[in-house]
Amino acid sequence: MPSYIKEFLKAEKPEGYYEALVESLHKANREYNAFNVIDENVGQSGNAMPFSTKSNICVKGVETTAGSKMLKGYIPPFNATVVERLLDSGRFAFIGETNMDEFGFGTFGVNAALPARNAFDKNYVAGGSSSGAAVATAMLKYHVALAVSTGGSISAPAALNGVVGFTPTYGTVSRYGLIDYANSLDKIGVMARNSDDARIVFDAMRGGDGKDLTCAVGNIGSKKKKKLFVIEELDRYADKTVRANFSGLLDRLSAKYDIETRNIGALDVAVEAYYILAMAEASTNLARYDGYKYGLQLKDLATRYNEFFTEARANFGEEAKRRILLGTFIRSESVKAKYYTKAARIRAIIIKRMGELLKEGFIVSPAFPMQTPKISEVERLTPVQTYATDIFTVPPNLGGFPHITFPYHYQDGMPMGAQIIGEHANDYALIDFVGEWEGEFDYRYKHNIGSL
Amino acid sequence: MEEKEFERLLKIARLKLSEREAARIKKDIDEVVRYFDKITRFDASDEPAYQPIHVPTKFRKDRVSRFDDVEMLKSGSKLHNGYIVGPKL
Repeated sequence: MPSYIKEFLKAEKPEGYYEALVESLHKANREYNAFNVIDENVGQSGNAMPFSTKSNICVKGVETTAGSKMLKGYIPPFNATVVERLLDSGRFAFIGETNMDEFGFGTFGVNAALPARNAFDKNYVAGGSSSGAAVATAMLKYHVALAVSTGGSISAPAALNGVVGFTPTYGTVSRYGLIDYANSLDKIGVMARNSDDARIVFDAMRGGDGKDLTCAVGNIGSKKKKKLFVIEELDRYADKTVRANFSGLLDRLSAKYDIETRNIGALDVAVEAYYILAMAEASTNLARYDGYKYGLQLKDLATRYNEFFTEARANFGEEAKRRILLGTFIRSESVKAKYYTKAARIRAIIIKRMGELLKEGFIVSPAFPMQTPKISEVERLTPVQTYATDIFTVPPNLGGFPHITFPYHYQDGMPMGAQIIGEHANDYALIDFVGEWEGEFDYRYKHNIGSL
Repeated sequence: MEEKEFERLLKIARLKLSEREAARIKKDIDEVVRYFDKITRFDASDEPAYQPIHVPTKFRKDRVSRFDDVEMLKSGSKLHNGYIVGPKL
């Protein structure tokens, strides 16, 4: 499938193309809430492919809030490394910042002032936490999105909106300028309309950065595998429709791959271990928002520090407050060994066992355990029910393994996505896998804003 | 979770909740902690992994560098002689 980026850069554009694009986007955005900010100056870079950033990636001079009231008014005086690299390449132009669950805390995109709506049907969730990035990718014909995953925030919304969602190996892409959720888990990745575009953006932004010392993985390989592993212990988590469709996908893939069922023996506790580690890290990261340094500015500086700090922190949303309290609890001396250290031990087991399996082949699974729910349906879910839906996306995120989501079926008009996981630093092999799949599958889009 | 422990967490996390919010969040937290308890039944004695990959430690040169780009500090904050003005300690 040809790259939309290459096609766009080569194409003649009618006069006023970018202005018309911005106008159409504003109109669509009033219905779908994909963007928090639309940049009217997107056309000023000349002939360049529009790219968006999730609202937790700093863009110089553009209000960047990570979807939180706490960061209202925060205008970064610098670009994140990924933004700088895309702009420096001369091939990309910034079109805006996309909607998200506050600080990345969510699976459905509903922990936002105005939730993004699914590009295929606005009564349904967009998925989260990179909700707007996925909706924007499914709406705009020529556009790529920078998104962020901590536990599945690229895979879930990409799958629910029928786009390609690529999460690279931890440490291949600089996190400098990313508003942290959980440092040992956060990864910047890409959403695009096909695998070629994901590869082009990944190449433009990856590589060592003196400003992020965890960005330490340099050599990326493309080791093709002949085996696909299905993880037995995860099978029961998918609903009936997902299981039936996924089984159809396996039948198609079996023409080219040997499919084997294996057991990791630890993924039943992966989601619990993930949330323990993520909340512990998040609760310390959120301590920097104090009402006078970034974003929200409280007026009365005469107030004593503790009261001032407490008053500022009332502006966190409910899920953020829940995670701060749980993270603070988990880090308490009396229970730290029981929860935090234990979760890190489970993480070590998962990295080891998945790593061994991934040397032999890729792991394949559905990206999401249920059919896309309606916005009204997820509002009734408890936090535990919501966390549990990350069952397929948490394992690769916990282990820092690269993974990619691609659409493979349309059920009742809504896309369904599958996920392929690879070993550390074998990222190109996953992009190649999806490239091969695209040769036999027609992606469908309801919107094609910006068509030429 | 006992009420006393919940109060302690609110205090050290510097969060003040309305009565309704506190009741709802306390109930959720109890449920989430019970959910987390599942890992206590899992046998794991491996060395903990705090990072997914090995991150080699690199040190910067031990050199004093001046940081005088006040623009970098501005974020709507009140400044005085290049310092951010904060509340009383």
